[in-house]
Amino acid sequence: MQQGSLWQKWIHDDRLRMIIIFVPPAILVFTVFVMLPMIQAGFFSPWKWSGYGPAPWAFNEATDATFGRWVGERNFDRMFGHSAFQQAVWNSILVIVVSLLIQLPLALMLALMIYRTSRANTIFRLVFFMPYILAEVATGLIFAFALDGNYGLSAWFSQMLGLEEAWFPLAEKPWAFYAILAALVWKYFGFHMMIYIAGLQSISSELLESAEIDGATTWQKAIYIKIPLIWPAITVSIFYSVLGALQVFDLVMPMTAGGPSNSSHTLVSYLYNFGFIRLDVGFGSAVGVFLFVTGVVFALVYRNTVQKGQ
Amino acid sequence: MAEVRMTNVKKNYGSVEVIPDLSLTIPDGSFSVLVGPSGCGKSTLLRMIAGLEEVTDGSIHIDGEDVTNAKPSDRGIAMVFQSYALYPHMTVRQNIGFGLKLAKTPKDEIDRRVDEAADILQLGPLLDRKPRQLSGGQRQRVAIGRSIVRKPKVFLFDEPLSNLDAALRTQMRVELAELHAKLGATMVYVTHDQVEAMTMADQIVIMKAGIIQQVGRPMDLYNAPENPFVAGFIGSPKMNLIEGSIASARKSKLVGVRPEHIDVSPDAGEWEGTLRYAEHLGSDTVAYIDSEVAGSVTVRLQGEVAINRGDKVFMTPRAGNIHLFRENGAVERA
Repeated sequence: MQQGSLWQKWIHDDRLRMIIIFVPPAILVFTVFVMLPMIQAGFFSPWKWSGYGPAPWAFNEATDATFGRWVGERNFDRMFGHSAFQQAVWNSILVIVVSLLIQLPLALMLALMIYRTSRANTIFRLVFFMPYILAEVATGLIFAFALDGNYGLSAWFSQMLGLEEAWFPLAEKPWAFYAILAALVWKYFGFHMMIYIAGLQSISSELLESAEIDGATTWQKAIYIKIPLIWPAITVSIFYSVLGALQVFDLVMPMTAGGPSNSSHTLVSYLYNFGFIRLDVGFGSAVGVFLFVTGVVFALVYRNTVQKGQ
Repeated sequence: MAEVRMTNVKKNYGSVEVIPDLSLTIPDGSFSVLVGPSGCGKSTLLRMIAGLEEVTDGSIHIDGEDVTNAKPSDRGIAMVFQSYALYPHMTVRQNIGFGLKLAKTPKDEIDRRVDEAADILQLGPLLDRKPRQLSGGQRQRVAIGRSIVRKPKVFLFDEPLSNLDAALRTQMRVELAELHAKLGATMVYVTHDQVEAMTMADQIVIMKAGIIQQVGRPMDLYNAPENPFVAGFIGSPKMNLIEGSIASARKSKLVGVRPEHIDVSPDAGEWEGTLRYAEHLGSDTVAYIDSEVAGSVTVRLQGEVAINRGDKVFMTPRAGNIHLFRENGAVERA
């Protein structure tokens, strides 16, 4: 009877069939490409290991000295004590702050201005969204060219101001990371703007008319009606924005590669530089574990506080 | 309380003319219902009074003041929308008091007026709830409360009952009529439901394609429709409008007889016909009769009448209740 009923279910239950067909491949891909590497990184993090030769768990008397050795928490100690790492953490915090205080308000303001359907607004939306479509590396290159003191906008700007020496912002410590921040805002504000536009367009026009009859000005309508109503969209965009800030990498590499003097690293570019490039996979994994834990803690706290009940 | 006066009002959307040229006065303290089929411009007219639509040409006066170009909030109006348009993130109290808050009314005064409105509408126990925790009828009351609290000169209602079920609609109809009696304010009410219009209005304005067809008290429109459109629109079931030999015998283009003004007999009468279908409602029986001379005729018979499909019947329109629509547009009763 059991057999029969299972077969019957397979025949008649579309949902069950979909689950059986589509879920296993997803779980497989997720496990192989996400779960396993994460667990592996956890395993690698207490080792000094170049990534070559046998994996750390296969080390024995014969391989020990040649391929690597157990270092315990020393990878983490080294990381926390490293000034470049501290700078990278600070830079990542700066990305979050700039996202929350400049990028998202800018996106919201533009969304409020152009969310209504009209030909002009469609063009504006397209223009503002364009940077998001561009590949990160391409964006980085564009900014690198523009900020080059020899032939970019920066050269033209220096000339206009009559500076004796051309300005190379990407090569100057105080400016390099601000240039990256500017590129980040430019690239991603359109994405957040689109999230807000979708939210704003779903607000019933009668609600806004009602507010108008109640005497609300454009500003009051935004503050009292529109923003509270798209608050769920705003919390999603904050979530993406913070997690995105922890993952910035592609823009940094073509613009500064973390320089000058490791001043413009983000957590991921730091991981790449000190983990992969220097063949220190154990150390890189330790940075990865830190990044992972930070992301998970943020996600859990955020979901259970700000987004609670949504 | 105030009179609303519209003079030569026109409304175009691009090249589409929605209201060609309309003049109408809504008397002070009246309950006026704008009624007509979908797309007749009644909602547009209401929204122009509210200031939510611009007037292409002409003028609107409320309480003697020209408000043609005034902002909605400066017109002394309040509006109840079809969807209620309650702010979902605010409590009932905040919803009702929102307009007062924007007008920088002191907090005590807001509370007092919200409580007063809540009393009138029996919303007291619901003041701390959010709109999603309310039933359709309660939401409707909150929407009305939001209007009352502003003490407007004119209340505007845009099909406010169309989202309610039939029983609740009947109840709210009575409540609205009572509210009007209590507040004595001018109310303008848009609906496509002629029953709502007939039961609530002091004055009905019937519109078609942006043109007013007739303005008057409900019974005047019922008894003396000025054209076939009004004749067919007011009354349920609809008035029978008969063309052909019956009309030409009476020197008319059309002859109109209400279903309740036709007597039916099994033996003798003016028009012979066969029963196609009968609706037995208990209080009435509505008979649909096919007749060779008169076409398809609807008759309302009092009480329960034993009549079956295929029965041969004779119909006689009652004298004094026959509407003759002449070729020249004149209407006479015979």
